[in-house]
Amino acid sequence: MLSWLMSREHGTIVLTNNSDKKVASHRIDPIQFEVVRSALTQVAEEMAVALRRSAYSTNVKTRQDFSCAFFDRDGRPISQAFTQPVHLGSFVELIPTSVETYGAENLNPGDMLVVNNPFGGGSHLNDVTVFGPVHHDGKLVGYVASLAHHVDVGGGAPASIGPFQEIFQEGVIIPPVKLVKNGEMNEDVFKLLLAQIRSKRVTTGDFRAQVAANTVGARRLVDLVEKYGAEDFDKYVAAVVDYTDRRTRAEIANIPDGVYSKEGFLDYDGFTDQTVKLKVVITVEGETVFFDFDGCDPQRRAPVNSTKAMTFSACAYALRALMAPDMPVNTGFYRHVRMNAKPGTVVHAVHPAPVVGGWETQVRVNDMLFRAFAPGMPTKIASSTKAMMAQAGFGIIDRENGEYHCNYEALAGGYGARATSDGPDAVQQHGQNTENAPVEEVESHFPMRVSRLSLIEDSEGPGRFRGGLGMRRDYHFPDDPATFTVLSDRDIQGPQGIFGGMAGRKAYYILNPDHPNAEPSELTSKCVIELEPGDTVSFQTPGGGGYGSPIERDPQKVLKDVIGEKINRQRAKDFYGVVIDENSDSVNETETTKAREKLASSRTSN
Amino acid sequence: MTGTANAQFRIGVDIGGTFTDATLVDSTTGQVTTSKVLTTSSDPATGFIQSVQKLLDLDDTVRPDAIEHVVHATTVATNAIIEGKTAKTAFVTTEGFRDMLEIARQIRPSLYDLQFEKPPPLVPRQLCFEVPERLDAKGKVVTPLDEKALAEVVERIAESGVEAVAVCLLHSYRNPDHEQRIGKAIAARLPNIIISLSSDVVPEFREYLRASTTVINSAVAPIVSTYLASITEKLHAADITSELLVMQSSGGVYPAKAASDNPVFMVESGPAAGAVAAASLGTALGFPNVISFDMGGTTAKASLIRNGQPNITKDYSVGGAAQSGTGAFGGASGYPIRTPVVDLVEIGAGGGSIAWVDSGGALRVGPHSAGADPGPVCYGLGGEEPTITDANLVLGRLDPTYFAGGEMSLDLAAAQEAIRNHCAEPLGLTTEEAAHGIIEIANTAMVNALRLVSVQRGHDPRDFLLVAFGGAGPAHAVRLAEQAGIPRVLIPLGPGTASALGLLVTDMRMEGSSTLIVRSDEIELSQISSEFERLENAGREAHHVAASASGDPIFERAIEMRYWGQSFELSVPAPARDEIDQAWMNELTESFHDAHETAYGFRANDEPVELVNLRLTTVGKIARPQMRKLESTGTDASIASKGERPVYFAETPETKGIVQTVVYDRSKLPAGAVFNGPAIIEEPDATAVIQPSWTVTVDQFGNLSIEHNS
Repeated sequence: MLSWLMSREHGTIVLTNNSDKKVASHRIDPIQFEVVRSALTQVAEEMAVALRRSAYSTNVKTRQDFSCAFFDRDGRPISQAFTQPVHLGSFVELIPTSVETYGAENLNPGDMLVVNNPFGGGSHLNDVTVFGPVHHDGKLVGYVASLAHHVDVGGGAPASIGPFQEIFQEGVIIPPVKLVKNGEMNEDVFKLLLAQIRSKRVTTGDFRAQVAANTVGARRLVDLVEKYGAEDFDKYVAAVVDYTDRRTRAEIANIPDGVYSKEGFLDYDGFTDQTVKLKVVITVEGETVFFDFDGCDPQRRAPVNSTKAMTFSACAYALRALMAPDMPVNTGFYRHVRMNAKPGTVVHAVHPAPVVGGWETQVRVNDMLFRAFAPGMPTKIASSTKAMMAQAGFGIIDRENGEYHCNYEALAGGYGARATSDGPDAVQQHGQNTENAPVEEVESHFPMRVSRLSLIEDSEGPGRFRGGLGMRRDYHFPDDPATFTVLSDRDIQGPQGIFGGMAGRKAYYILNPDHPNAEPSELTSKCVIELEPGDTVSFQTPGGGGYGSPIERDPQKVLKDVIGEKINRQRAKDFYGVVIDENSDSVNETETTKAREKLASSRTSN
Repeated sequence: MTGTANAQFRIGVDIGGTFTDATLVDSTTGQVTTSKVLTTSSDPATGFIQSVQKLLDLDDTVRPDAIEHVVHATTVATNAIIEGKTAKTAFVTTEGFRDMLEIARQIRPSLYDLQFEKPPPLVPRQLCFEVPERLDAKGKVVTPLDEKALAEVVERIAESGVEAVAVCLLHSYRNPDHEQRIGKAIAARLPNIIISLSSDVVPEFREYLRASTTVINSAVAPIVSTYLASITEKLHAADITSELLVMQSSGGVYPAKAASDNPVFMVESGPAAGAVAAASLGTALGFPNVISFDMGGTTAKASLIRNGQPNITKDYSVGGAAQSGTGAFGGASGYPIRTPVVDLVEIGAGGGSIAWVDSGGALRVGPHSAGADPGPVCYGLGGEEPTITDANLVLGRLDPTYFAGGEMSLDLAAAQEAIRNHCAEPLGLTTEEAAHGIIEIANTAMVNALRLVSVQRGHDPRDFLLVAFGGAGPAHAVRLAEQAGIPRVLIPLGPGTASALGLLVTDMRMEGSSTLIVRSDEIELSQISSEFERLENAGREAHHVAASASGDPIFERAIEMRYWGQSFELSVPAPARDEIDQAWMNELTESFHDAHETAYGFRANDEPVELVNLRLTTVGKIARPQMRKLESTGTDASIASKGERPVYFAETPETKGIVQTVVYDRSKLPAGAVFNGPAIIEEPDATAVIQPSWTVTVDQFGNLSIEHNS
């Protein structure tokens, strides 16, 4: 319910917050408001374009593993470019914390800080943020920030991912320090930073692109302030936040009141066989929602610890996904994402826990949140998706010039089925929306070959609507030794189905699936291995979970999947009870009815 | 066949969603005749020939054999994709990569939508075939082509009954040999099938983008070639035997035969025509730098023209949600194509866009549109939600009795009521304030579009002329220019059909390219010369075959470059030096650093620079028709005055509220007339709104040249 009163006084609109008398009335012109709102979004979008186009690493320039945003002078997020939601959630705490740590008074026009501290609002070390203040007429307007996932930040393995036990093994930890001083690169800091990093050339290019993006953003903001005047600019920024606040509360009110709870787990932590327990209790009451993670396991000396910011991102994503598609996301939204994640647990790791593997926990939490909401919002959620970051990294030293090449990517998997549609095949999920690295681009940069990139047949979770197919990408190193990391999960249990839907195929990580002189062997989901020339690693992601009973699936949809060779005939019969005539490629109605009756009785008797 | 001695006339035909416009130009006098018929969606060729026949009927001095050529802009290729009516097509690729089209870029088109869909591949999985073969990134054969396996695949393709085949093998942009052998094997077995090889269509790296482009090319080829053959036949039946030319997405034209073979180059044929028209007008009037703005009933399009040439991009998708213009996932709901396209930003703001108040109490405009049916409330055809056209009417900017030249009357009271009920009352505004708000909010989105094509590409809008056309463009253009900081606006005569005129003022252009991917300090300079020579020979031959353009071809050389390690190239014109030597290379590198600094704000003089693609455009110059001068001249605008009416202008504090405004009949304005805003200028297909602080000059050709008083 809207709790704002609108009235008209002397040609301007007065919005009065009915429920919270502390908030002052704002006199705003609704037309100017919409104009400024679009312009603020445009600032972040222009930053994103500048960053993407001038970056060097495939991970940033092609996979779009970066984000840009504008913050007001209190460090509250106001507008953002829609790239990676996992980053945007982490910005919320990182910027104000970093400003506070460094001291706002120590930041001058033309300065930019660099920071990646996971325990000061950050996520993993690779996500490095560069941000700086924007001034107009000597007065602070706000901050522009760009975050890029750097392909390497040093540490125990190329691409800085691996089953580590302490944060110190994961690369260079950067507290907020000045990267740019009065418009000039702070060379001492940059040299020290770069000395810790393997992929020096592309990293230099990516940092420069971040600085360029911030410069573009700052320029555009100053233009806006000049156009509207500092006072009006502030007024409209506040109005944008209030507007988002109002809409957020109205949207939360649309979620049925109640207590939603769910448990989940990761298969194992990489050092022991113990599963990692996750638990959430969500309380929705009127215009408020609260995520309580009491009951999650304590943090481990193993790659399964999510930072507070990462867990917050998962909650923010889940909540936003249940709202109207045109909802803006800024501090007016984020302030309603309230959670309890106890310090020292796998959902709020504290120093000196390793965190890079915490993405697995983060995405699994996201999946768990949707499963928790399922009974209340069965048509809005999706069944379990791949729900793992699926990180693959490798490093090769160039035989010709000694350059250390690093590559990082996160692979797609099957999406969960929905109430009225199948889960799409091979696609990113939840807060993650990075592209795949084109095979031709990767092979142009590194002495390796992608020998296969395909859907995995028969990997879908069966259901009235089926889950998406998983994906397989094989990395072959014909001539050079390489160091390879798998940092992932799901090789014990695949994504679960919902409302009678079945689980998708689990993940597999196979060394040398078809080597002429070696037997295939299974790798664990969290490992670093040294590869010999000629070796291949096959990364196989899971299929999505199904939705509803497979014997209720439209037989024509089953037929279509059989014709497309996405599932085989036997599977059609065994899981869906659909019998397809060998000769005519059509559904045999009589046999199908029989097969389905048989499946129905065997499932009830089980 | 063409270029007959008395060839005097040219015809342009532009098929839009609602109308098919035909324009005839007498190239000796510049006399323009236009005709309009309803688009015949089920068989657009019928509307095409009707519009041409109507032109010929209007003027019996035009003999069919005096027609030099007919130029056509069509959405037939785009529509086939959007409506899912592409031809049954097979896809052949390297073993291990059958799912290239299914996986696409592995991303979701919208971040927070759990119910999203990936666009369905244009080739279903059962028609995607693998052949054992492999090249490395340098084009060297790692696994030879397995001829036996290929023969089996060809047999399965034959059994499948497809109409077309697309072939895209890994690294074929480096070495087309395997693709060519596969093409030959299929052609030998299936001589009547259309075969597109990725190494022919778009020989550039990044396999999915190349494959997608190639698949679109082959999947629309059967439809496009049938369509163009049908038009040719109908033209012949009307005794018009001159060459049929087709507008490409990049703004040049190419012969119907080339269009049938490579239709992916004409996917954005229609929008390109508008940009070309604006470029041509700007150049003719001494303004080589132009922002083109075309606003119709459902969308507005902006594009940038520099030095008389529309900006071209290859970062583009077809068949998805509207492009955001920023690249981030905008294209993931459609199918990427990597052929040159006029770089335009299209947004959902047109006369029919609906205004509403959202749940947070904000006034919004679009993206929903009332279209032509039911249309705006004031049409009285059943529309209930207020639109931009309704807002313009309420503000007095449109005359309820003179819409479409008086053929249709508008219901002012209904428009007022709709705006009052849907917008003004919920916001506590007067009806006029709400109507004005609707216009200002729509304008904001359009100003953003203008910024996207200018500022975001590193160009200062103050250096440009805004050329505005389309049915709704002239009503908004001056205010947009004011907000975007553009000092001068030009509104051509007959803005509603100006885009069809673009078809008659363009050259024959054929694109060729060659991938290098070599660092500037490692390249053999002789390789650049020999590649350009090879491309020129191919271009010369194509030009000879096309034949209708008179004179020798002109070649334009450009190099797509980037810093070594980047992924996005900038196109840099080749230095104008005879010899490709070190001095040539130095000049080229310097131009690249400059271009990079302009685009992204920094240069890296010490970084190695990479030459990615050589690009050659073969241009066959086509003479421009003369522009026709107005017969009446004189400085006095008052003879065209239709009187005054109250119009709401609230843009600046001084002019807040209702202003008595002079209304002019455009057809009566003499060349040389000068008058100040505020003013309204009416003609049958559009109404121009001139804000206060702007001055209008009618030039000798009847264009309205509008300048800010500063």
